[in-house]
Amino acid sequence: MSSHAATTQVKANWGGGGVSPLGASYGKLYMWFFLVSDAFTFSGLLTAYGFMRHKYTDFWPNPGHVFHHFPFYEGSVPLAYVGLMTFILIMSSVTMVLAVEAGHRNKKNEVAKWMLLTIIGGLMFVGSQAWEWYNFISGTAEGAVRNIFVDGVWKDQLIHGANLQYNEYGLPVFGDFFFFITGFHGFHVFSGVVINFIIYLNVIKGTYEKRGHYEMVEKVGLYWHFVDLVWVFVFTFFYLL
Amino acid sequence: MEFNDGYPVYETMAVHDEDHGKHVRKVIWKVFWIMLGVTLVELFVGFKAESLGLGKVFLQFFFIGLTIVKAGYIVLSFMHLGDEVKALKWVLLGPFIVLVLYLIFMVDVGEGNYAKSRRYVMDKNVTDAPHHASGETKQGEAHQGAAEHH
Repeated sequence: MSSHAATTQVKANWGGGGVSPLGASYGKLYMWFFLVSDAFTFSGLLTAYGFMRHKYTDFWPNPGHVFHHFPFYEGSVPLAYVGLMTFILIMSSVTMVLAVEAGHRNKKNEVAKWMLLTIIGGLMFVGSQAWEWYNFISGTAEGAVRNIFVDGVWKDQLIHGANLQYNEYGLPVFGDFFFFITGFHGFHVFSGVVINFIIYLNVIKGTYEKRGHYEMVEKVGLYWHFVDLVWVFVFTFFYLL
Repeated sequence: MEFNDGYPVYETMAVHDEDHGKHVRKVIWKVFWIMLGVTLVELFVGFKAESLGLGKVFLQFFFIGLTIVKAGYIVLSFMHLGDEVKALKWVLLGPFIVLVLYLIFMVDVGEGNYAKSRRYVMDKNVTDAPHHASGETKQGEAHQGAAEHH
């Protein structure tokens, strides 16, 4: 058949149009290249965080002292809650990759099941992050006296919690980076949940069953794993180091 | 969509049968347990770092090392980059090798050293200023001090 001849000819020319280069479909390549650029955005944010932290080491709040709350528990447990959040996100990454695997076997119901669990995991993570923000913003009952800039003058004032202007726990720039980086990541998670939900509806409708393959699930899976990947770095630089 | 031009159909290349699926799932769960184990070790060390008396530089290498291990599992296994062709791996990961080299350079000889010199001067200011944000003038003086120091 002539198709064999065509295949060998196409293999020889890399960018001749038609066939997608690098042994992957165009859709997947576009997603990969987007993720590379997005990874550089996060790298820039975390690098800036690193420099500021290095410069103000002596005034940097100890994350263990800031983030030590746990739901329905009065005491202080540093790192436990963020450990749970990490577990939730890794777990949702696993359910996502299981959805991709089910897609490779063209099992519509299995794909739908794992996609739904991934969406639930994502919502749980965003909810956890909201709770973490709530605790950081409201702060402790005692509060702390900080020298802050109000109405054009510097003055000492008792403050509780943190926002973009002041921070009970230490340098305001810590709060700025925390809100911006975890906020930017949280927005990625939120978008991921929305995209996953759209794809989930398509799976249920049978769009991909008709198409004969579930590559769309694989593509949103790439995005979802990337969100997990970024969290792994945020977790290390914000909470562990 | 009913054309056949003889091009490879990438979309269905990863399609597999039940038996192979079983194997793939086994690998996925293995990776999950490794990631969970690594995260628990990180949390344990992070929790106990002070009482174990571990050095700051050791902890930095330890945590960043384990983070790269986890990142590797996510990208190569979950995102299936390990199964892609070699050229694609290089296209996607190559730029980050440049980034890491740049960061090492900056931390070692660039901004890192500059920040260290600033930090030293700031320490002196702290002794007579109880709060970190003690006004613009202090920062300005500190900067001049650093310039003279050089």
